[in-house]
Amino acid sequence: MLNLVLMAMIVALLIPLYQAWRDEDIWQTMLALASVSAKSAVMILLVSILRDDWMIGIVGVIILSVGNAGFMLLAHILKRMGDS
Amino acid sequence: MDSYVYIITALLPLAASMLVFQTNPYHALVIRGVLGAISALVYAILGAADVALTEALVGTLLAITLYAVAVRSSLVLRLGVLKDDFLAIEQDADQDHTNHLKQKLANLRVLFEKYHLRVELVPYLDHADLHHALINKEVHVIYTQSDAKAGYTGDSFYLNTRLQRIHEILNADPSLTSVLVDINALNPKEVCL
Repeated sequence: MLNLVLMAMIVALLIPLYQAWRDEDIWQTMLALASVSAKSAVMILLVSILRDDWMIGIVGVIILSVGNAGFMLLAHILKRMGDS
Repeated sequence: MDSYVYIITALLPLAASMLVFQTNPYHALVIRGVLGAISALVYAILGAADVALTEALVGTLLAITLYAVAVRSSLVLRLGVLKDDFLAIEQDADQDHTNHLKQKLANLRVLFEKYHLRVELVPYLDHADLHHALINKEVHVIYTQSDAKAGYTGDSFYLNTRLQRIHEILNADPSLTSVLVDINALNPKEVCL
């Protein structure tokens, strides 16, 4: 059952990848990055449940929480690029 | 081994080729983040939790921040302008001269957008300061009004640059006039006089 959920998540991961590949607005690409990062972290959590492996689970939690800080840094630099 | 492992592993070369074929440096920067997230996923699923953590914290967070600073400070065209004009542009003054300047500046930004270069204005006090800045390699391009150079007819706005490649790019656009200044042949003292 959880295998099927994981397959659906892989398909869902392809959508923001396609969006990032279509070269348009930089903010659309940023949204795709946020989406991919959050989805991959949740997928790590799901796999950790699937295998009953807490070491992978902790890595998933850290990636999920630290990812947002990275977006803030990157978004600020891109925003200042647009202002000047 | 479960079949989903193979599918997730196949995402890694997909994201890597997306990064390789991206020409815009800012988009490449964001796609590097995507690649980092996917590689952390692959490492975690293949059982290397420590490698995944290092990839997410150092490989993605730190590398992207440093790379963003590098791209931001290097992909820039510094244009020297007079302080009065700089203030007029900043305050959005509605004069013929300022509007003309803003129009030219917009043309310049569109032209260098193709090369992923940002145009940054650097104010200087007078024409002598502008030439000094060009010769001292503080700016890449300066603009001059024709009254500063007697006998010049045509568009009153022309650009001086010290770089051959920028001169070629500027000359390819019919709305801009560019003059190449050979800074090796010039002595800074001569320009001061």
